[in-house]
Amino acid sequence: MLRRTKPVRTAAERILMAKRTCLHDIHVELGGRIVDFAGWDLPVQFEGILAEHTHTREHVSLFDTGHMGQLLISGPGVGEQLAAALSQDAVKLPVGRAKYGFLLTEAGTIIDDTILKRLGEDEFFLVVNAATAAIDAKTLRARLSDDIEIVVLASWGKLDVQGPEALDVLQPITEIDLTTMGYFGVCRTQVLGHDCILSRTGYTGELGWEIYMSQATLPEVCRALLESPNVKPAGLGARDSLRLEMGYALYGHELSQDVTPVDAAMEFFFDAERDFVGATALRTQISDGTNGKLVMIDSAQRRRFNTGDTILSDGEEIGIVTSGVFGPSLGRVIGMGFVRPEFTQVGTELTIATARAEITATVGQMPLYKDGTCRKKLS
Amino acid sequence: MNPTDMLYTKEHEWVKIEGTVATMGITEYAQSALGDIVFVEQPEEGTDLAVGDECIQLESAKAAASVYSSVVGVVCAGNEALEDAPELVNTDPYGEGWMVKIEIEVAPEGLMDAAAYEAYLATCE
Repeated sequence: MLRRTKPVRTAAERILMAKRTCLHDIHVELGGRIVDFAGWDLPVQFEGILAEHTHTREHVSLFDTGHMGQLLISGPGVGEQLAAALSQDAVKLPVGRAKYGFLLTEAGTIIDDTILKRLGEDEFFLVVNAATAAIDAKTLRARLSDDIEIVVLASWGKLDVQGPEALDVLQPITEIDLTTMGYFGVCRTQVLGHDCILSRTGYTGELGWEIYMSQATLPEVCRALLESPNVKPAGLGARDSLRLEMGYALYGHELSQDVTPVDAAMEFFFDAERDFVGATALRTQISDGTNGKLVMIDSAQRRRFNTGDTILSDGEEIGIVTSGVFGPSLGRVIGMGFVRPEFTQVGTELTIATARAEITATVGQMPLYKDGTCRKKLS
Repeated sequence: MNPTDMLYTKEHEWVKIEGTVATMGITEYAQSALGDIVFVEQPEEGTDLAVGDECIQLESAKAAASVYSSVVGVVCAGNEALEDAPELVNTDPYGEGWMVKIEIEVAPEGLMDAAAYEAYLATCE
């Protein structure tokens, strides 16, 4: 008997919960299989996860990330205030640049992971996860003074154009010269004549841009890009295997309010000597050590391990899997998980106990996929 | 579209009986529902199977599934080609994507022919 093991939402739950992005009709037209993700109806796949993954590594794919939160934060002296509210040093961030970092609790645990973009001297753009967007806005409101304006861009969509051929398909419809934008560059410009924010960022490891634009005009841009024979739509399935091959953490899997950036082995993303909410707790953790550290898990085989599976060493429980996936570009199953600090050395042998079998794996060197084009110099 | 020389189960497996050997795999509908197959566990030769016993574990890029025996018998071969090329289940589910051969001991019961399976599929959409 063939039984699928994924949980399925009831019809009532779907109607009550489902939110749709402005690109929903396009997904349905293109045969996307729609699933629930953080309360949003989004395509998990079109043609197939493996084909979409490979297409992204070789050509260019479009990912609808309209579920993510977009906050415009502006006002006099906003840089100093954001620098205290977030792990990113907003004061040092040059206009036109983006930086990855965290919104933390006083205890140093992660409310959300975010990308902060500086659009102007007193204007920032913060892109956050869907499930945490509301608490992020509320937390920032409480941390910033009343003369700082926070605008949630609820009527904006987001489209990620990702793959080594992204420049070739996006440049013809973009106002600015994209080759002038370095990795993590950001600007206001026009795509297909429509105002937008553009950042050279992504979640795949490949060259690409993220387009932030009004929901009224983004579908037109999506359709225009799809006219190119080298552009295909891709779903959440490929997004997950692409990000795991690069070792990018996902909120809700690797990151949560139960862990700090030190637990997540992300010390290189912030300066702990600087003062921001949560920094004191992080400094203590850096000097005293942590109970667990996030590692990349590499296996030499195709049998999958899953979120929640136990990690063992010599029969003793030493950790837990946070993500597991077949990596199509690597041809083997990979993932991430938290292990006790003495087991974080690259090459350390691990055993993963799944519901079906015990799998042998090792701690891997991040990123496992090393041929990504995201940092490619364009000029 | 489903071959007429095979029998089918409601769980979307096919069984082809030649002499005393039943070859089993999953149908076009099943492979499409599961998506890209990335792992097929090889069955152990000599395993005794009753109807409903798990005989193959499958993993696709998005889900895990099991294939349960629809006949009574003993496993006589697995498809070793699937070890390196599990995608054959997607590209040729009724041919090179076969999964297990079972020496049958009891005449199979309760299986559908292709016409009955297609009528059943119409109710699955």
